[in-house]
Amino acid sequence: MTPPQASPAQTPSSTVSTQSAVAERLAEIVGERHVLSRQSELLVYNSDGLPGYRRQPKLAVFPGSGEEAVAVVRFLAKQGLPFVPRGAGTGLSGGALADDIVVIGLHRLKKIISLDVENRRATVEPGVVNLRLNKHVAPHGLLYAPDPSSEAACTIGGNVAENAGGPHCLKYGVTLNHVLAMTVILPSGEIVELGSKVGERDGYDLRGAFIGSEGCFGLALEITVKLTPKPQTVRTLLADFMSVDAAAHVTSAIIASGIVPAALEFMDGPTIRVVEDSIYAAGYPRDAEAILLIELDGLEAGVAADLETVRRVCLDGAARNVKVARDEAERMKLWQGRKKAFGAMGRLAPHLIVQDAVIPRTKLPEVLATIHAISEKYGVVVCNVFHAGDGNLHPNIAYSADDPAESERVHKAMIEIMRACIDAGGSITGEHGVGLDKMGYMEAIFSETSLNAMCELRSVFDPERRSNPGKVVPVHACKEWRAVSGGRLRIAEPPAEVHEPRPLEAEPARPSAR
Amino acid sequence: MTAALPADPLPHDPMPGCALPGTPLADALPGINACVHCGFCLQACPTYLNLEDENDSPRGRIFLMRSLLEGTVKPDDPSVQQHIDQCLGCRACEPVCPSGVPYGQLLEATRATLRESRPTPFLARLILFVFAREWLLRPAMFFSRILAATPIPTLLSGINGRLGFAMAMLASTGRSIERSRYRPVRHGERGKVAMLRGCVMDGLFNTTNRATERVLAVNGYAMLDAPGQRCCGALHAHAGDLATARSLARRNIAAFERSGAQFIAVNAAGCGAIMKEYGHLLKDDPEWHERAARVGARVRDVSELLAAAGPREGGPLPIRVTYDAPCHLQHAQRVTQAPLTVLAAIPGLELVPLHDSDQCCGSAGIYNLIEPDTSDAVLAPKLANIRATGAPWVATGNAGCLMQIGAGLIRAEISARSIHPVDLLDASYAALGQ
Repeated sequence: MTPPQASPAQTPSSTVSTQSAVAERLAEIVGERHVLSRQSELLVYNSDGLPGYRRQPKLAVFPGSGEEAVAVVRFLAKQGLPFVPRGAGTGLSGGALADDIVVIGLHRLKKIISLDVENRRATVEPGVVNLRLNKHVAPHGLLYAPDPSSEAACTIGGNVAENAGGPHCLKYGVTLNHVLAMTVILPSGEIVELGSKVGERDGYDLRGAFIGSEGCFGLALEITVKLTPKPQTVRTLLADFMSVDAAAHVTSAIIASGIVPAALEFMDGPTIRVVEDSIYAAGYPRDAEAILLIELDGLEAGVAADLETVRRVCLDGAARNVKVARDEAERMKLWQGRKKAFGAMGRLAPHLIVQDAVIPRTKLPEVLATIHAISEKYGVVVCNVFHAGDGNLHPNIAYSADDPAESERVHKAMIEIMRACIDAGGSITGEHGVGLDKMGYMEAIFSETSLNAMCELRSVFDPERRSNPGKVVPVHACKEWRAVSGGRLRIAEPPAEVHEPRPLEAEPARPSAR
Repeated sequence: MTAALPADPLPHDPMPGCALPGTPLADALPGINACVHCGFCLQACPTYLNLEDENDSPRGRIFLMRSLLEGTVKPDDPSVQQHIDQCLGCRACEPVCPSGVPYGQLLEATRATLRESRPTPFLARLILFVFAREWLLRPAMFFSRILAATPIPTLLSGINGRLGFAMAMLASTGRSIERSRYRPVRHGERGKVAMLRGCVMDGLFNTTNRATERVLAVNGYAMLDAPGQRCCGALHAHAGDLATARSLARRNIAAFERSGAQFIAVNAAGCGAIMKEYGHLLKDDPEWHERAARVGARVRDVSELLAAAGPREGGPLPIRVTYDAPCHLQHAQRVTQAPLTVLAAIPGLELVPLHDSDQCCGSAGIYNLIEPDTSDAVLAPKLANIRATGAPWVATGNAGCLMQIGAGLIRAEISARSIHPVDLLDASYAALGQ
């Protein structure tokens, strides 16, 4: 792979200070049409998929090639300007918001650079949409396994930044397990290769450190992903239950039976009904209190046996009905209902808050009961739709922010729900990332030592803290943060004081981000 | 874990009072609120894919609408106007929206609201003015028809700019399929049907209108006249001129009520879409709302009526055809199978699949004349995909798409021609002798 090189002419060098001068220089690189500086045009970039958080960027720049992206980053580096990389803006943690600084939109970098069918890998630009990659490789009997529910809109670059998961990550693993190598431009403008297309390189896994770094370590400009052969057989079951508790117990029972389903998804009654009201109505029974969507894949013979086992476990666990999708069309319908459930919740109320927590799977019954009790206590409707197989909860509450009393109740309910998840031995995010939304919870689950270690890791990639500042690790947890003025276009002081190295203390293993 | 959980503020801010009270946009707030900002619409949007800026996406435009109501942007802001203007109104975002945001209605409300703070472009105003007035529309269409019959449009179709494109549009209208005359046997057992004659359909696609009457008759519909009908008002509504759209709608409602028809057949997808939504258009008119809803419920695309009747199989027509789905048929009316059922009734016709046939062609009413650059950018991949099929005919059931694709084919020197599916069925019946 030839790393993109910026031609010297493309990197204006003298220091400029005003917004219009910066915009002008960026326009020289990417073209005038692809730099936004009017306040009214920047508005739509002030939120991601969680629009409750709004931060107004100072400028938006959309490079149209890897070379342009390199030139943009190098220009910003020369100027000492902080920036935020952004994919399709479908994130659910406020991670791609730029508070009065430059946002670099990578959605125009949408080339599939190469597809190597024999070695089952593809190299793509970061703006390639997840589903588009899958459609591109499908004719070759291949698929890209991580399938976040936003697959129809989210980009591979964003998936790398968030270490995105999805229903099928239960069996196939998350983005981390499917990215072989990346060409990364560091915030300093230096280009590095992380990972290896042919297998694991010796030494520390810097690729692993970069994936899930939420845009704080730089920009991946070329991403080589592993492709997976389509399984010979796929069968999808829909089991419906008259109680949440029964479905939660069955979830654990299925895993305990020794079967690893390709996916094991949970939707509760309120979620079922909102999906059935939408154009993605999947034929879920409206009167059920919970459904499990279970997918089994692999070799024909093995799947057939597993199917019977799962069916029996479901019925033993008080499933009312277990239905197997008859054909691909019905299977897709069942999945579309699940994947579009989040979007469908806009039907309930004007505002939506979505959570993302991981708990040990065996604690599902009690945590779900607690969530139900909390929702009753505060008089709010919680819609639970989540990746049950790996205990990744997504409680959603739809409400009206125009009603202060209701907002207050929702607020309290969400904090209690998170508390319950943490008390059950869980983590604060499964796959949405920390971003802005979860930053406040970081100190609840990580020690100061761990947070400092994260800051130090970041220093390796971005010692000046210019890439996506103010996210993931709380500002006050990193001493060196004081140097950056929290998101002004101009950095007030010279960057980053040198941090004293400290030994790492042992940290109890946490569930990996997923 | 002992650290206290943070009391972070709930992220949503309440809307601090409406900045544009009493406007159509303020009225549309519930539809705006349905958007949860999930972004599933982005990849369905032709302008987002071409212009690559979220201001030109459904999610972005809805955000701008909300910002207008919040007062964070002003209606006279030129960039807001530009991004709202640049929307094709194809509504491809609607069938992918899990929250059911009625985007088409929001767009019309926004345009109606913005219209109050700035003038509509002259060309658009002129076209809308003419279409709303029979005494101007008839001579204009007459003149266009005469012009179309001369070699002038073909000669001028190559020149750069909008004039050349407009000439190519005209030139494309005189290129339907040859067929012999036949007299349909009329039973009328399937019910009474009145047809919307339309403006452009009546003026430039009269062949298609006659074909529509014949194929409906062959399929057992009794055709009635509905005198007093006018332009459907779609162009006016899309441009935000809701007052004219409503006035035209009222005349049509009265005309079709008088006709006593069970069904109102429409062969232009854009017209059918707005007529089906007459109830919404007149929702605040106590005298007309119910009548509008009743008439709207009787509106059918011609392909729906034909598919409901079979349709009757015709004589052999051994040609290769590709099909392009008009946005206002597939997205606004959600009619996707019926046109294919119509084509399937033609023996010998080979249907060649068209890649991205669900993507907009860039016609969008008068958009291709008002926003030529974006329209061209949207049309380009459509033409490339048509060229790749190698089919000599592109079937599509909307006046705007017929002319947009037709003009594009002429200018790109692709030998294929655009044609209404009904014309193909008519030619097939002609081959049978009835």
